[in-house]
Amino acid sequence: MDKVKGQTGSFFGAIGGFFKEFGTAVANGDIFVKLSLIWMGAGYCRRKQFIKSILITLFEIAVIAFTFGFAMDYVPKFATLGTVQQESVFNVVTMKNEFNDYDHSFMILLFSLISFVVWAIFAVVYLNNIINNYKLQKMEQEGKHIKTFKEDLISFLNEKFHITLLALPVSGVVAFTLVPLLVLILVAFTNYDQQHMPPSALFTWVGFRNFRDLFGNGGLTVTFGYAFVRVLAWTLVWAVFATFTTYIGGILLSILINDKKTKFPKMWRTLFIITIAVPQFVSLLLVKNFFGNSGIVNTFCANIGLTDWLRSMGLIGTSYIPFLSAPGWAHAMIILINVWVGVPYQMLIATGVLMNIPTEQLESARIDGATPRQIFWKITMPYMLFITGPALVTDFVKNINNFNVIYLLTANVFVTTNQAMANSQAKEVDLLVTWLYTLTQDYYNYKMASTIGIVVFIICAVFTLISFNRFIKGDREEAYR
Amino acid sequence: MNKRFVNIVLRHLLLAFLAFIWLIPIVWLLVTSFSAYTGINTSTFFPQEWSLQNYKNLLFSADSVAQFPNWFKNTFIVACCSCVISSAFVLMVAYATSCMRFKMRKPLMNMAVIMNLFPGFLSMIAVYFILRTLNLTNNHWGLVLVYSASSGLGYLIAKGFLDTVPVSLREAAYLDGASEAKIFWSVVLPMSQPIIVYTVISSFLAPWMDFIFAKMILNAGVSSQWTVAIGLFNMLDRSLINTYFTQFCAGGVLVSIPISVLFVIMQKFYVEGVTGGSVKG
Repeated sequence: MDKVKGQTGSFFGAIGGFFKEFGTAVANGDIFVKLSLIWMGAGYCRRKQFIKSILITLFEIAVIAFTFGFAMDYVPKFATLGTVQQESVFNVVTMKNEFNDYDHSFMILLFSLISFVVWAIFAVVYLNNIINNYKLQKMEQEGKHIKTFKEDLISFLNEKFHITLLALPVSGVVAFTLVPLLVLILVAFTNYDQQHMPPSALFTWVGFRNFRDLFGNGGLTVTFGYAFVRVLAWTLVWAVFATFTTYIGGILLSILINDKKTKFPKMWRTLFIITIAVPQFVSLLLVKNFFGNSGIVNTFCANIGLTDWLRSMGLIGTSYIPFLSAPGWAHAMIILINVWVGVPYQMLIATGVLMNIPTEQLESARIDGATPRQIFWKITMPYMLFITGPALVTDFVKNINNFNVIYLLTANVFVTTNQAMANSQAKEVDLLVTWLYTLTQDYYNYKMASTIGIVVFIICAVFTLISFNRFIKGDREEAYR
Repeated sequence: MNKRFVNIVLRHLLLAFLAFIWLIPIVWLLVTSFSAYTGINTSTFFPQEWSLQNYKNLLFSADSVAQFPNWFKNTFIVACCSCVISSAFVLMVAYATSCMRFKMRKPLMNMAVIMNLFPGFLSMIAVYFILRTLNLTNNHWGLVLVYSASSGLGYLIAKGFLDTVPVSLREAAYLDGASEAKIFWSVVLPMSQPIIVYTVISSFLAPWMDFIFAKMILNAGVSSQWTVAIGLFNMLDRSLINTYFTQFCAGGVLVSIPISVLFVIMQKFYVEGVTGGSVKG
């Protein structure tokens, strides 16, 4: 925890220092530094860095043009997300029905947000520019060499190489992850759903209402709270089982294969690896049909009398075994099939780790007279946990978000009979993420999907923070070196 | 001695049993792809009549539903483009965070951790709208962007590897007057061959394995524009499954072959990657 505090502290410290630097630059700078507050290229022009001056001026003009040519159409409406509803108006000139100049709520939200990001970037460049100009002024006063444009360019391959390297990847992340995430976080505070779909309708801010609907029993007809508790419970149960069954299974399998007494370990390993080389959408869709209501497993079970026996026991009420189409059965089957999917992966990892246990430790334990069982529990397992611990945490988070297994196995097969669940478009086997997917893809309920997405994030973040702080402590890092 | 022998036999029997269970679906996939009956074979495990018709139909007589050659080509193009971009991004970010020290390093890395905790396709909904405004939905470039634009976030594995490259090598190069770019290009990259292979193969495989993003971006388009994943998924639509199930299996087999080969090559680096480079194999 202290480490986290220290990091955030230093982060804010850095920001504070940045502004302080800016303050001194403005206070102590000469007239050209002060002029740079208005014309960003002024200082560079004075220090004869003309190309740089032109570039930064062009940047300034571009941002101003962006602000007045584009951002001002959207940002002022950000508070209301638009007021003019789309209407069809008869145009006397063209003799056609035309749309009025309507507001598109989503575009207002999206473009306002993009404008905010652009302005934030501009602000950083602007402040940095002043600081740089002040530095140049001091360098000039001290009679130091001021870099030419060519030297500046070369520095981007040298001490500023990280900027060259990170520019594209970071802008990719900003455009395709950061901005979309911010949009979705904002959508969680609006009423963007099927009744409020732009362009034909407007949506607006509703504060925390979606969160209240999700956690309590908000609306009269749609009870998201009811479904949410059940979906959340299954998500957590699933994540725990999926993570630990495959983890333990993988370790056991790799121990079995890598034991000295086992012949042809390579062959066995390859047999299991073949199963993960087949893409999941092929293997899982196949398994879905394998266990279908009239699938081959059901035929087999009926032939050997298992189906009849189960029916006589009262465990099923249908003429087939509902492997993937009834709650309970489906839950168990999904976890079992996931064992099939996940164990070879874990086996691969565990094999790599097992082969690299420091042999001195095993050797000395054996000399001290430890039994194989003791060696396993006191040396092999702690070592394994130490190496794969962080991966175990990420596995858990990945399983909370494991869309593929659930969706490919149950889509179009599992139909919920629970009316209260169906009212919220959820199914008993849904994870939070598959529920989110159905809500957006089939029901356009973006507000609730975003709200669920935020909840998923909070769960993952809390879990990751706690486990990294409590179980995987930094001071253990040196233990096995 | 006798007890030891029993132990060994039991051990191999158990392994054989497990391998049998693990291979059933794969074998079923293989044998069904050679079936003459086009629907799901529900009565027997092995097909009653064998034929090569499914492969022939799939490869040489594409119809409105099954356009496997097109899908394969599309996926290949998308995979190649996104592979080049994402490998470059990942290696660039990895070098910057591992080998260089600058003010924003820690804050940027913390930001990456936080962003990785959001479910990936939560942002997809907004990305979809952004792409639609740019007119890039139902378009392969849109898909390439989706796969590769934020690939920089997956830099951790490569960073873990670069962390193990000895600092002394770089220092020697600095002393010889090499620029940072030159060190990246001719000192660190040639030494990182394993992680490059891993990054290239895993980013090449992503479009073959992915299903959600492709469905979101390309779903509304014409079927000749689809990738293998959506195309095959569509074959199992309730109205199509009885005519196309065996072709689906044949398609599955055909896709799996190149993927398996790449996967076996990558396997060695996979372990090192997941355990954060702490395993030296």
